[in-house]
Amino acid sequence: MAKLWTVTKREFLERVRNKWFIVVTIFGPVFFGVIMVLPAYLSVRGMRNVKVSDIRIIDATGTGLGDRVATRLNGGPMGDATATQVVLVAPGEVAAAESLATKDVMAKTRRGYLVLDSITIQQQRATYAGRNASSLGEMDSIENALRSALLGQRLEGEGLDPKRVEALTRIKVDMKAERITDKGRGGSGIGSAIFGFLIAFLLYMMIVLYGQAILRGVLEEKTTRVAEVIVSSVSPDVLLAGKVIGVGAVGLLQQAIWLGSAVALYQFREPIFLKLGMPAAPAIALPQVPPMLIAALVLFFILGYGLYAALFAAVGAMVSSQEDANQAAQPVVMLLVFSIIFAQPVMLNPTSRLAEIVSWVPFSAPVIMPMRMSAVQIPWYELVGTLTGVALTCALCVWISARIYRVGLLMYGKRPSMRELARWIRQS
Amino acid sequence: MAELALELRGITKRFADFVAVRSLTLDVPRGAVYGLLGPNGAGKTTTIRMILNVIAPDAGSITVLGTPNTAPGLLDRLGYLPEERGLYKKMQVRRVLRFLAELKGVDAKTANHRIDEWLERLSLRTPEKDWGNAKVDELSRGMQQKVQFIGTLLHDPEVVILDEPFSGLDPINAQALKDTVVELKHRGKTVIFSTHLMDNAERLCDSVCIIARGDKVLDGSVNGVKSEHHKRNIALSLEGTPSSGVAEILGDRSLISRMDDNNRYFELEMAPGGDPQLLLHRLIGAGALVQRFELIQPSLHQIFLDRVGATGVEEGMSGHG
Repeated sequence: MAKLWTVTKREFLERVRNKWFIVVTIFGPVFFGVIMVLPAYLSVRGMRNVKVSDIRIIDATGTGLGDRVATRLNGGPMGDATATQVVLVAPGEVAAAESLATKDVMAKTRRGYLVLDSITIQQQRATYAGRNASSLGEMDSIENALRSALLGQRLEGEGLDPKRVEALTRIKVDMKAERITDKGRGGSGIGSAIFGFLIAFLLYMMIVLYGQAILRGVLEEKTTRVAEVIVSSVSPDVLLAGKVIGVGAVGLLQQAIWLGSAVALYQFREPIFLKLGMPAAPAIALPQVPPMLIAALVLFFILGYGLYAALFAAVGAMVSSQEDANQAAQPVVMLLVFSIIFAQPVMLNPTSRLAEIVSWVPFSAPVIMPMRMSAVQIPWYELVGTLTGVALTCALCVWISARIYRVGLLMYGKRPSMRELARWIRQS
Repeated sequence: MAELALELRGITKRFADFVAVRSLTLDVPRGAVYGLLGPNGAGKTTTIRMILNVIAPDAGSITVLGTPNTAPGLLDRLGYLPEERGLYKKMQVRRVLRFLAELKGVDAKTANHRIDEWLERLSLRTPEKDWGNAKVDELSRGMQQKVQFIGTLLHDPEVVILDEPFSGLDPINAQALKDTVVELKHRGKTVIFSTHLMDNAERLCDSVCIIARGDKVLDGSVNGVKSEHHKRNIALSLEGTPSSGVAEILGDRSLISRMDDNNRYFELEMAPGGDPQLLLHRLIGAGALVQRFELIQPSLHQIFLDRVGATGVEEGMSGHG
């Protein structure tokens, strides 16, 4: 046990001392922070710069609807409505006004134009054409302004005071979506989806990064022949175990730092957003995570990492050069890619047949199950079943890998064929 | 306390359809410097790996220091320097050494103390520069070999096993290695080393075992082996080119059974019944200017060639011995 500790300690300390580890660990959260804040920041900035008001309204209704829309587009009666150009035309001149407006839009003097006519009044239908027609946000605000203007007009038609109408129709709605499970309401829907995807992605990253690190570590010991010195002191099994545990601990430390800083970032998002001059932080409630779920997540995490770490170690012991390693590692990498390919469809529809099938495949379960678990309620038998499957596969992989490792560590030269590999496994 | 440092009893190792070591039995007395000799591919490294329990023999038993080599804790009493040498390149020398010592059960404090001692002794730590704080790949090849050698001895092993320790060493490091081996012997340690360089073995070893193609050819003390193979050998060197009369005498197969031209002298093996005095008499009679005429024991080199011959060397491999 003391020797296992020695090996584990070396693996851990040498990796943590590495300057790249320090750089990635510290700048990772900064990078994530930028990724998280930047889109929100840009969209807010974008919104402030949107010149939805910078359009022409061709009003053929003869009811002053165009002016009402212009007022609303420019922030109410207090706003500066001159930014929006309202052109009053007779119903017969609409076509001519439109072709003129098209030319202006093409010449970039206007962003676009809105056509209002009797159909708008009767059937609530209007036409907009412009350079920004594909911007959902901008179309939304024009539509809102039009709806509100129509409503105001109707209310005034019923004899309400225009000032009252103005006050009454200015309503801003904010809808919060919440998820309901068998246990009742819990957190926001989007929150758990993000949480689930985050867990799946973290595990995937951990396996890819640290699985490869194990492969490189084994290969280094093999090519520098350090392995031969070490196995004259400890058994190959101890060396393998120490390596997997040590590297895993490095990964966990890094994930802990990242998760910790993500939580901190989330806690202090209001001051950060304020500093950047953004009005309100997007309200994403952290999902309520029951302890059972956390336990299952950690189990999937450890077993999944163990499974792939063992496979990567076996690949490292099989080959004698980096080129061979890249090739021999491909089947293992394919298993991982296969898991992450299904992550998106599963996230979109976590109860589908596909989602269930890939949950039962031990090689993809560690990535897929945590995601599904945080999105939907998983029956207990499915949870226990898939977990057992992963555990058994993990044990099998460790057993096979340890055998390949024992023989391969001292074999140099040509990569073994499948037949030779089978003999290695039988032999040791 | 067991008399023997190492006892191999009929160990055999097969790889697929190839027999690396065949029923090898040998005894290494405690406190001896023991040479495991043989051409490349003879099975020396496989034997050493089996002794260290890195690979298991298919048959036979291995006893080290009186206990089976699978006994827990036994490996901590052995030191091993593999033939192919290497260390973690990006690791600090001191940390690598501490790691290797801890793997053998040495606590950090003792290890640090011994590391400093050894670094100073092999001049890797001088008042100007402490290479212990450098990374392994900043060191020259010779220095890396020294570091590896330190790693083999840090836990003060009772039995030191060196696989081809002299290969790739420059004369200065080879001398340092030789001095250390002799010093280990004086301290009562057992040193087992493999080599295909017979000259090294002859200078250093108390006892030897010669193996070829997985089979033991002979073993015993160097003196014993030599007297067993005592054929009357003569070292002869002459001034100038031998005259035709001299050449005729040297070609007389009733007098000399074999002649090996070593450039600076001939090594002659007397034929059965051949008299060295008669040979000397005839040579002088033929007008040869004799510079050296000495009765010598056969070298391990000669014995090796006699017993193993070219057939013992696997095809495509060259036994330099």
